Amino acid sequence: MTDEITILSTGILVLTGIGLGGGALLEFASKVFHVHGNPLINSIDELLPQTQCGQCGHPGCKPYAKAIAIGEAINRCPPGGQKTVDRLAKLLGVASLPLDVDPATVVENLVAVVIEEDCIGCTKCIQACPVDAIVGAAKLMHTVITDQCTGCDLCVAPCPVDCIDMVPRPTAKDQWTPKHPGLILSDRFSQIEIHQHG
Amino acid sequence: MAKYQVRRCDRQLEGGIHLEAFKYMSTIEACIFLKTPSILSFPLHFSGGGPGDPLVQVGDHVSQGTPIIQCSSGVIHAASRSGMVTAITDYPITHASIQTSKCIVIETAGNNIRDYLPPLDWPCEPSMIVQRAVEAGILGLGGAGFPSFKKWADGIQILIINAAECEPYLTADDTLIRIDAKSMIRGASILSQALEIPTIIIGIENNKPEALEAIETAIAESQFSCSFDIVLVENKYPSGGERQLVWLTTGVEVASGSQSIEAGILVHNPGTLTALSRAIDGKRLTDRIVTLTGDLITSPRNLIAPIGTPLLSLIRATMTDPEVLDSVTIGGPMVGYSISKYAAGITKTTNCLLARDLKRKVENPCIRCGACASVCPVALQPQQMIFALKGDSLDKALHEGLVDCIECAACNAVCPSNIPLAEWFQFGRFEQDKKDQEKNLASRARERFEKRNERLTRLAAEQEAKRKNRQGKATDALNKARQAREKIK
Repeated sequence: MTDEITILSTGILVLTGIGLGGGALLEFASKVFHVHGNPLINSIDELLPQTQCGQCGHPGCKPYAKAIAIGEAINRCPPGGQKTVDRLAKLLGVASLPLDVDPATVVENLVAVVIEEDCIGCTKCIQACPVDAIVGAAKLMHTVITDQCTGCDLCVAPCPVDCIDMVPRPTAKDQWTPKHPGLILSDRFSQIEIHQHG
Repeated sequence: MAKYQVRRCDRQLEGGIHLEAFKYMSTIEACIFLKTPSILSFPLHFSGGGPGDPLVQVGDHVSQGTPIIQCSSGVIHAASRSGMVTAITDYPITHASIQTSKCIVIETAGNNIRDYLPPLDWPCEPSMIVQRAVEAGILGLGGAGFPSFKKWADGIQILIINAAECEPYLTADDTLIRIDAKSMIRGASILSQALEIPTIIIGIENNKPEALEAIETAIAESQFSCSFDIVLVENKYPSGGERQLVWLTTGVEVASGSQSIEAGILVHNPGTLTALSRAIDGKRLTDRIVTLTGDLITSPRNLIAPIGTPLLSLIRATMTDPEVLDSVTIGGPMVGYSISKYAAGITKTTNCLLARDLKRKVENPCIRCGACASVCPVALQPQQMIFALKGDSLDKALHEGLVDCIECAACNAVCPSNIPLAEWFQFGRFEQDKKDQEKNLASRARERFEKRNERLTRLAAEQEAKRKNRQGKATDALNKARQAREKIK
């Protein structure tokens, strides 16, 4: 009789022990390896161009990423272009859509420039800039930090004297790119032909 | 009295390719000075050392050695002969992909006037040497044109002189050593003493006995008490690649994504060290040796030419009619690029002008033979990378190790289908750089946007707290007043 009780209680103890141990381990893992935020939102945000321009109807790229994660359309980002829509479609495993705007109106890679003579120092553009890329103080001239400007053009509308222009992003003077090697050979050697024919 | 020892390299380059060298062609005739050409051109942004600003104006008279371009890295380029600045305008340049760029054009005058820097007395402060290299316009003359002084840091253990010159046809470094090994040894000795580098290694391919002899004589006659370790490496392309030579001579494998300088190893081209030695004597870098060779050049030879010399003058100096050349290759046959506008001037990194009868080859589909993988000196799988790149899948190419490709073009040379693999890899790396830049901009913008939002929320909360505080105080005062009134009642 006592033997049976011992065997029974040993079994109960061992199983309870395994259960408690496993539970503790899971609890520990959930604390230590806790994922902050929704990982899907972060990977969507990673693909967005971070211009923070609000053209999608959301106040910034992260909010749009959150909206996409709960089912918003993926084709509302004009600065990202069709490229970004395609990448989002691939990430989310859905069919790609054409961009929601007229592709002709999409201009890539612009930066804002303050026409410094005309600036009256009203600070309105500073408040509008989503990435703090405009410096200046009240009644003093403002200027854009070109390297930090995302080209969102949110500063253009608030300016009361219309002294902000959007211009193509300046490139380094010694920048160059190689010719595309996929060109057929005769195209790659076009220089030679030009030389031969005069 | 300097010491030296010569040893045969006991390591074998993995991959690589034995190429017919054709080096004899340009070494039969003696190396001579080129007659000063009538026009010299200096690209503002493509002279090496970053984009530059002109230091002279149209109409200015310059001497040989007058500073004319200040680069963003600090390097100052000098006029290579005296004359007058006639234009600062768009002009053909010697470049792989850009045809014209802004250049300073100088019309040379009859008699040459030299403008020297004051000679430095060695020993002196190491910072003086750096200052001198900047003023004299010294760049890495091996091909990349990286400002040499940027690599001169403390804690360098080994200085390697890269005299391998493994590309076929090229003999510019070989010739330089034969003529002026003394300056090279002096430059290396001074640099090693200034930076307190304990070991100097000279890596040289075993097909240059004359240069080796010149080095031995120069070391024996040297005044410096340095010891040189001369390593003879096998004549196999690309043993002169920086990483390859570092491994062959020291056994150190430079990690992927880092430079040999980060491993405490400084690699310099013989030309760079010679230029340093001359700069210490007060002479700015205004001339270089250029190899003119190839089947179509009537009398192949090396020429000492002023920087900025038009390719046309060089071609004419070899009794060759420029009209018969469809195009010439700048650099060696492996990594060089072709150019057909001969008005462009040579730069500090133009080491060779090669004119060959190029047979046009038709590109065929890849047959998966794997020849490219067996010759790749970095042990990559070029056939996999080219598939990924042609399929527009940059990530896959990166996974195959695209960033480690040294663009040596050994794969091009063995490909039976004539696929321009190295060009694809260069293109892929540029695409990757572009993508990285975009990503950087995006992540900076994200960070700033988030920081700004944090700040705005914090400010709003602070204002709210202040308002509550004010309200609380007002209520307190009101209550006190009420209590006081009630007491009076």
